[in-house]
Amino acid sequence: MTTNPLFFRKTAIALTGLFLCLFLIVHLSANCILLLPKELAIPAYNSYSTLLRESPLIKIVAYLLYAAILLHVFYALLVTLRNRKAKPVRYAVNHAGENSSWASRNMGVLGTLILIFIVIHLANFWARIKLGLGEAVPSDPNGNLDVYSVTYELFQNAWFVAFYALMAIPLAWHLHHGLKSGFKTLGFYHQGGLRIIARISLIYAWIMGLGFGIIPIVVFFK
Amino acid sequence: MQVTFKIWRQNGPKDKGKFESYPVDDLTDDMSFLEALDHLNERLVVAGKQVIAFEYDCREGICGQCGIFINGRAHGPHDHMTTCQLHMRSFKDGDTIVVEPWRAASFPIIKDLVVDRSAFDRIIEKGAYISSQTGTAPEANAILIPKSVADKAMDAAACIGCGACVATCKNSSAALFTAAKINHLNRLPQGKAEQHTRVKEMTWQMNLEGFGSCTFTGACEVECPEGISISNIAELNARLLKSKISGS
Ligand code: HEM
Ligand code: FES
Repeated sequence: MTTNPLFFRKTAIALTGLFLCLFLIVHLSANCILLLPKELAIPAYNSYSTLLRESPLIKIVAYLLYAAILLHVFYALLVTLRNRKAKPVRYAVNHAGENSSWASRNMGVLGTLILIFIVIHLANFWARIKLGLGEAVPSDPNGNLDVYSVTYELFQNAWFVAFYALMAIPLAWHLHHGLKSGFKTLGFYHQGGLRIIARISLIYAWIMGLGFGIIPIVVFFK
Repeated sequence: MQVTFKIWRQNGPKDKGKFESYPVDDLTDDMSFLEALDHLNERLVVAGKQVIAFEYDCREGICGQCGIFINGRAHGPHDHMTTCQLHMRSFKDGDTIVVEPWRAASFPIIKDLVVDRSAFDRIIEKGAYISSQTGTAPEANAILIPKSVADKAMDAAACIGCGACVATCKNSSAALFTAAKINHLNRLPQGKAEQHTRVKEMTWQMNLEGFGSCTFTGACEVECPEGISISNIAELNARLLKSKISGS
């Protein structure tokens, strides 16, 4: 029998989504360096960034990450389109809020916002640092590329600060539903365990939302 | 008690259909919702108009025939309740009550509030049974089943196939229904022999019927008259994965 798309696509979304959730933990932890006072943050952030750029292991992880994002979006699109087709006529009156959360019903919308964010985020940092597009990145006194200054400059622009801070909201919302849903998709069905996972998802979403939301604001006021 | 029913009228599968309003003024609040519709239909008969088509059988919450989408909820405003168990006291005097058929590509409308749920029958035909010799009933203690296992199987077996899960799901996913049918049998020793083909064939039929993917919004378990837990769907996912890996 051929692979069942109803399950295969969701499994792909869950595996890539949970991998991205792991990545976000590492990403946020490292970015917390930006919260330190300038004298400490500059050498620490730049040497960390150099370490990442020069590690062959990180190179592999980076390609996995690009693949995960593309596959996640691709299968999310397929699932969303199929699911819309399965409900061609909507109800005239539907009090869906009484039986399900808004986030769970709008994962595609939230995901699209995150995708827009990812594209702009990559244009801000990845394109300049890795692709060498735009103004050349200066070096710090230790001879490392001064990635801190790239971040600092970007977050002196209030529009970017607002954009980055606000986009943490759809991210947190997506993660709150996504994390607990992903475990169920992968077949974790113990009821007590699922209640704990639901609580962890909420805490995780808050940490990610607050963490990524606050960093640009703190850097702005440095 | 006076209410206005705003009801979806559709003459046949191909008809475009539209809402029509019917003010009804001599209801009592201890009438069931279906009795109120009966009452309206009697009026329509007297007036020489077409009655509103809707389904029911037992009117005691066990057959699953009476699915109607009422005021934005499957089976009306309460959680875990069939339409036949809904009473007019759940509404206020003067209310307008919007009454729609189940909406899903896989449940085409036959007439008015009646939809074709034979997609469920075709899923059942793919394995919601065990193959066994018929004859005299086997000795009751020949297969020992722990109470906890029997209870869990019964929890899933409680599904009455009303279709509220599909109706309320924004993806029209039939995952809760199919999971209940599969888990009911796969949890019992009698169901084990065919467990892998059952899970694969029934979920494949669910795909062929055009239902959507489960995204765990959780609406189904709230609207399910039997309160069947959404963890059944997660368990179905685990079973499908296991049967894929075991390759049988
Ligand atoms: C940091 C980036 C992201 C992370 C960590 C993430 C995480 C997740 C997780 C864990 C799931 C749950 C999978 C499941 O239920 O099986 C999920 C589902 C989903 N994601 Fe993402 N996601 C991200 C970005 C995106 C993007 C960019 C899009 C689309 C443009 C997207 C669209 C969706 C959709 C449509 C679903 C499935 C719908 C559902 O299960 O209700 N996500 N995501
Ligand atoms: S008529 Fe049988 S369950 Fe409602």
